Amino acid sequence: MSATELPTKEAHILKGHEGAVLAARFNGDGNYALTCGKDRTIRLWNPHRGILIKTYKSHGREVRDVHVTSDNAKFCSCGGDRQVYYWDVSTGRVIRKFRGHDGEVNAVKFNDSSSVVVSAGFDRSLRVWDCRSHSVEPVQIIDTFLDTVMSVVLTKTEIIGGSVDGTVRTFDMRIGREMSDNLGQPVNCISISNDGNCVLAGCLDSTLRLLDRTTGELLQVYKGHISKSFKTDCCLTNSDAHVIGGSEDGLVFFWDLVDAKVVSKFRAHDLVVTSVSYHPKEDCMLTSSVDGTIRVWKK
Amino acid sequence: MGSDEEDFVFHGTPIEREEEIASRKKKAVAGASGNLRTLPAWKQEVTDEEGRRRFHGAFTGGYSAGYYNTVGSKEGWAPQSFTSSRKNRAGARKQSISDFLDEDEKADMEGKSLSASSQFDTFGFTAAEHSRKQAEKEQHERPSAIPGPVPDELVAPVSESIGVKLLLKMGWRRGHSIKDVRASSDARREARKAFLAFSTDEITKETPDSLVSETEAETSLGPQFNEDIKNSESTPVYVLNPKQDLHGLGYDPFKHAPEFREKKRSRLSANKEVGFRKPLSMKESLFGPKSGKIAPGFGIGALEELDVEDEDVYAGYDFDQTYVIEDEQPARPSNDNRLRLTSKEHDVLPGFGAAKNSDYSMERFNPPKIPKDFVARHKFSGPLEAETKPTVSAPPEVPPPADNNLKLLIEGFATFVSRCGKLYEDLSREKNQSNQLFDFLREGNGHDYYARRLWEEQQKRKDQSKLTLDVKLSPTVQKMTAETRGSLLGEKPLQRSLKETDTSASSGGSFQFPTNLSDTFTKSASSQEAADAVKPFKDDPAKQERFEQFLKEKYKGGLRTTDSNRVNSMSESARAQERLDFEAAAEAIEKGKAYKEVRRATEQPIDFLAGGLQFTSGGTEQINDTGVVDMKSSKTYPKREEFQWRPSPLLCKRFDLPDPFMGKLPPAPRARNKMDSLIFLPDTVKATRQVSESQEPKKETSIEEPEVEVEVENVERPVDLYKAIFSDDSEDDEDQPITGKIQEGQEKKNEAAATTLNRLIAGDFLESLGKELGFEVPSDVPYQEGIKPIEEESKSRSKPEDSSDKRLDRSGLKEKVEEKRSSLILGSEEEKSRKKREKSPRKRSGGNDLSSGESSGDERRRKRSNRKDRHRNNNSESDSSSDYHNQDKQGSRSRRKRRESSREKRSSHKKHSKHHRTKKSSSSRYSSDEEQKESRQEKKRRRD
Repeated sequence: MSATELPTKEAHILKGHEGAVLAARFNGDGNYALTCGKDRTIRLWNPHRGILIKTYKSHGREVRDVHVTSDNAKFCSCGGDRQVYYWDVSTGRVIRKFRGHDGEVNAVKFNDSSSVVVSAGFDRSLRVWDCRSHSVEPVQIIDTFLDTVMSVVLTKTEIIGGSVDGTVRTFDMRIGREMSDNLGQPVNCISISNDGNCVLAGCLDSTLRLLDRTTGELLQVYKGHISKSFKTDCCLTNSDAHVIGGSEDGLVFFWDLVDAKVVSKFRAHDLVVTSVSYHPKEDCMLTSSVDGTIRVWKK
Repeated sequence: MGSDEEDFVFHGTPIEREEEIASRKKKAVAGASGNLRTLPAWKQEVTDEEGRRRFHGAFTGGYSAGYYNTVGSKEGWAPQSFTSSRKNRAGARKQSISDFLDEDEKADMEGKSLSASSQFDTFGFTAAEHSRKQAEKEQHERPSAIPGPVPDELVAPVSESIGVKLLLKMGWRRGHSIKDVRASSDARREARKAFLAFSTDEITKETPDSLVSETEAETSLGPQFNEDIKNSESTPVYVLNPKQDLHGLGYDPFKHAPEFREKKRSRLSANKEVGFRKPLSMKESLFGPKSGKIAPGFGIGALEELDVEDEDVYAGYDFDQTYVIEDEQPARPSNDNRLRLTSKEHDVLPGFGAAKNSDYSMERFNPPKIPKDFVARHKFSGPLEAETKPTVSAPPEVPPPADNNLKLLIEGFATFVSRCGKLYEDLSREKNQSNQLFDFLREGNGHDYYARRLWEEQQKRKDQSKLTLDVKLSPTVQKMTAETRGSLLGEKPLQRSLKETDTSASSGGSFQFPTNLSDTFTKSASSQEAADAVKPFKDDPAKQERFEQFLKEKYKGGLRTTDSNRVNSMSESARAQERLDFEAAAEAIEKGKAYKEVRRATEQPIDFLAGGLQFTSGGTEQINDTGVVDMKSSKTYPKREEFQWRPSPLLCKRFDLPDPFMGKLPPAPRARNKMDSLIFLPDTVKATRQVSESQEPKKETSIEEPEVEVEVENVERPVDLYKAIFSDDSEDDEDQPITGKIQEGQEKKNEAAATTLNRLIAGDFLESLGKELGFEVPSDVPYQEGIKPIEEESKSRSKPEDSSDKRLDRSGLKEKVEEKRSSLILGSEEEKSRKKREKSPRKRSGGNDLSSGESSGDERRRKRSNRKDRHRNNNSESDSSSDYHNQDKQGSRSRRKRRESSREKRSSHKKHSKHHRTKKSSSSRYSSDEEQKESRQEKKRRRD
């Protein structure tokens, strides 16, 4: 895929959030997008038509992350109010609130079967919450992190968390082991490659690091953007050919996965790009920014 | 009969119903709580405390005259009975108003309410009022030059009250607060300065006029300071507040939104300053005192405190639009501006003209003339300067004397004399007249060399002092050599002399010169070391120097020279900021040292201390050597470690995975049981800790490691503990012999029954406890096989002597068996057993004490003496076993130590994980005292 095939043309601009947008996420099939931000709302969009569908309000403070189930029926969100909310998409009602984190919650993810929510918090823990039962107690608390957990990713069998203590920790449920990969730099965001073999970790030294998951080897390092003090996202394209990273100066960078060259960079926003999300099938990308807008990028 | 009712005829007004009274009462309550206040005046009802509508007094024909709608008394109004007899003639009784007034009315009329008489009317409110009335009255009487009522300002209070006089004598001034602001103000001023410095930091950067910004900051500083000012205005001060808007008189557009007034004022002032700075933005005036950076627009609830997390980290996103649109505010007429301008230009009020010839002329004085030969430097006529003059001519170079000691002595002495002055030389010459060594002071051996050295030293000192002076004169000099810095701080020469004395001491010289005294007291060697080792401000030598100075002062007791570290090029805020930096750095260095010590013990590599301990101030300085970091990181990172992790069964279920730990023991990690924290740790543990730690092979232990460690140890029967709790058999045993042998046999039986019962109970209890704690309870088999000492002891009484030998054998065998068995037992069991062991020996030793005759009763001892023989073996046996247990306890202690040390490691990890983070995560701070607590918490979390 050459640079021209990258989604660098602005297709839509989604306006509605007041204040910074902290996360923008495609749903499972990429037809919808959920965004959340400082204005304590979560918004559901049709990014391909640029329409706001629904606004979800219940959070008491800013909403930092949101994730939708694969069947699009429920979603979960978290934020500064230390709770994890479990929502019904269609009615817009909160089904459950999971309390227990001692600090802000930075990230949430459903597992594949949408039976549990895993949240990553400022209180240095990952907490697993049960959606099936009515229990609001965490199923498990993983507190081996030494500092704030910034990001969490789930696979079918593993929970992967990235923390400010510089580690990416993989908790494998099959063998009951914890693999801790120390990168030496605070980890801001982690995302997993689509083939599941690599983890991309955005570190606060303005570097993205690609790790081999089985060996913990450092495969590649991507530089050029600025990521020093904000939570900025990084991800891989759906073909795993490129690495995308948002920069604090409003740029979005595309690196070639293999040779780590900057294939493309363009100004996506005026201010910090907080989140990037890539469409699961098409060449379409969402970026959100502190400037309060979400932009949809297509080829 | 229904028709009868219609025949009734009603006269008068019906009596009010209960409900109505009740409702009235309700109304009264409501009225009292102020609900009725909101009604217009004509709708409001005056009620008495009973809730009845009321007009005033009997005279006004009120609704509720008198006492409970009666007159005069509780009984009601009763007509005064007129009685008159011959003896007691009824005179014409004179009625007065007070007969018909209520209490409150009487109070009103008689003026019982308190008010200050004019003499004691401290602030002259009444006096002023009085005088104003007086003046008004006079006004009417005679025409005056100024038409209309006299302005307040022009009329002074008639007389000054005693209070005012006193206050004035005490130094109070009009218009100021009486409360002693000054006392607290000094302390507060400092804090405020720092505050101001911080808040005005940005402003000062933008505006050259610091004064304006200062006042601006004051306004934005918010309640706590404004309140101060307000409070101080306890006496009326006539503030000239010109009306500049076009609103109606008395109309206040910001009546219900005072926040916006601030905003408007700032905008006005900003207009005046012609765009030097942006107007104070909305958030500053609203939330100014709380937090400067609040995400705009999304305020949290009014009852919620603004927190750190509410800070708008995405600063730069600025809502510039205002939220109140004043349509009442028309554009100011242009001529108004012009008028003001012109008036300003000519320095006259509008409508007035400047006088052509003014009497007043500013007298200016020229600055005094400085004589040409004046040198702007003060010279001290100290001994040092005085003596440098005679030795202007350099003495000839002389080879040092052959005697090394003498040479050293001379050199040291010369240095010292050059420092302290000639006086010292004279003194010591006098003192050491008979001393051969000091011959060089008096034309003796080595005098020439001494003279030469002295001269050299003096030259050196002069140079140094000149250098320091130069440095002081030009503080902008950033680059300094180590020497100059040393001379500035008085470090290097000291160390040199120290070295000299050291060498002289080591080479046999017996002289040590009293070196810089202050240094010996002030310099905390460790801190100095740390500062030398870790230079947190390497990239800025000037700052590093200041930091060192700061450190030096930090460890100096007593008064601090506040001015010493002031570099005049720095602003107040920068200094404050720097000071904070320094504090943090010093703390971190301390911590780092502590960590290093830990590291020395644990031999664990740390990386963040080296890489992370670089302080940057306010983001202005960045770590530029990223290349180096990368080099390093690429070498050491990523680093993979593996630990055991146990997913909860439910989690596995939810993920549709088989539990890898299915059917296995619950994870022992950190799952120390409840009892553990209850068990008192003896002090000796601390001593053993060191030993065990040093003996332990140091390796990087994973978190889980201690749990899977296989322990070889004796597992105590758990019944021991519970028996210790449930049955106080030792006491019983002692008392039983009194009843004699026959009974004893029976007693034994009973006892045996009791013990088995106890065992059963204990077993049950243990099992339930184990279940509760999630432990596997050892089966009953070992109970039968191995019998614990106390039981044995008790049983031995009923058994013949010879069994004791067997028992010894058996216990030995038992130990072996148990060793084998326990080697299979993993962490949890081991812990449990340790717990028991720790508890049981103490109990047993207590029993031993009792039986070995330390108890008080003589008679008891006598009685026991005949049994003692039989028990001797037991005692010895139990002694040995207790010894054994002691040993074992040691072992377990060392194990515990190990675990603790590993935990310490972890905690220290946390502590240093990121020093700016630890500020927030207070939980990562441990002290050894809190470890117990911590472990408990951990456990709880685990169990959750």
